[in-house]
Amino acid sequence: MDQAAILDHQFRVAAYIVTWAIQLGYLAWLGMKWRAQKRAERVAGLDSPGKSSAH
Amino acid sequence: MKRLAVCVYVLVTLALLAWGYYQAIYVAPNDAMQGEIFRIIYYHVPSASVAFLFFAVSLVGSIGFLASRGEHHERAHKFDAWALAGAEVGVVFCTVVLTTGPIWGRRAWGIWWTWDARLTTTLVLWLIYMSYLLLRRFAAGPQMQTLAAVLGIFGALDVPIVYMSNRWWRTQHPAPVFGGAQGSGMDPSMVGALLWNMLAWFLWGVLILALRYRVERQHQKIAAAEAQAALNA
Repeated sequence: MDQAAILDHQFRVAAYIVTWAIQLGYLAWLGMKWRAQKRAERVAGLDSPGKSSAH
Repeated sequence: MKRLAVCVYVLVTLALLAWGYYQAIYVAPNDAMQGEIFRIIYYHVPSASVAFLFFAVSLVGSIGFLASRGEHHERAHKFDAWALAGAEVGVVFCTVVLTTGPIWGRRAWGIWWTWDARLTTTLVLWLIYMSYLLLRRFAAGPQMQTLAAVLGIFGALDVPIVYMSNRWWRTQHPAPVFGGAQGSGMDPSMVGALLWNMLAWFLWGVLILALRYRVERQHQKIAAAEAQAALNA
């Protein structure tokens, strides 16, 4: 493997890692927000079946 | 039943993402000119497509909110939640585009960034929707949703400009792979990998869009319950 091919490989790997880091980071943030909302829902008394559905 | 459907959807999405990765790395050949770095296209282009699609969702949500806010409050709240979810998830995908692009550009062009028409209009699009999200996060009062909806509609106007930018102006960014001038296109051995990744990232995007919508609807219901409790106190 020549130097250019090694650099190409490293840059390609970096791009894929960045993509997954952004997507999973956002998903984790959304998950935390979801849990916080669930707690707030319980406090507000909205957690009974049939009322908690958002749709 | 609904829980089972969601589990199946998540499993299919994860399987397709793994299949898309396999196609991108082990099936598609290296590009004759760019070598392995060209494989960034299998994440870069699907992310851009999904971002555009979700900004369109935000546009429909914003228009729907403005059209229904006077009479149908519940419907207006649903439209508003779709507008916010579309904008936020669209920004996530647009961020992927704006980070993978420069990584690719550094190897392909020797520079991280240039004020090329496609790059600049994409950055402007990202900035518009970031300002939309900041407005929603920090502004208060009854007019906030209306102002956000108007900004969301203006932001969506940039999407066709981004899409057409490398057709209208020939600058640093490569010409369009699909729907471009005569001679544009991809080697058939690469098309499959791109389409599989398009499908996988689309399904992933829909999954987090639906989750974001649900979180926002929850937020709206809690806010309404708190307001009602304050009135009753």
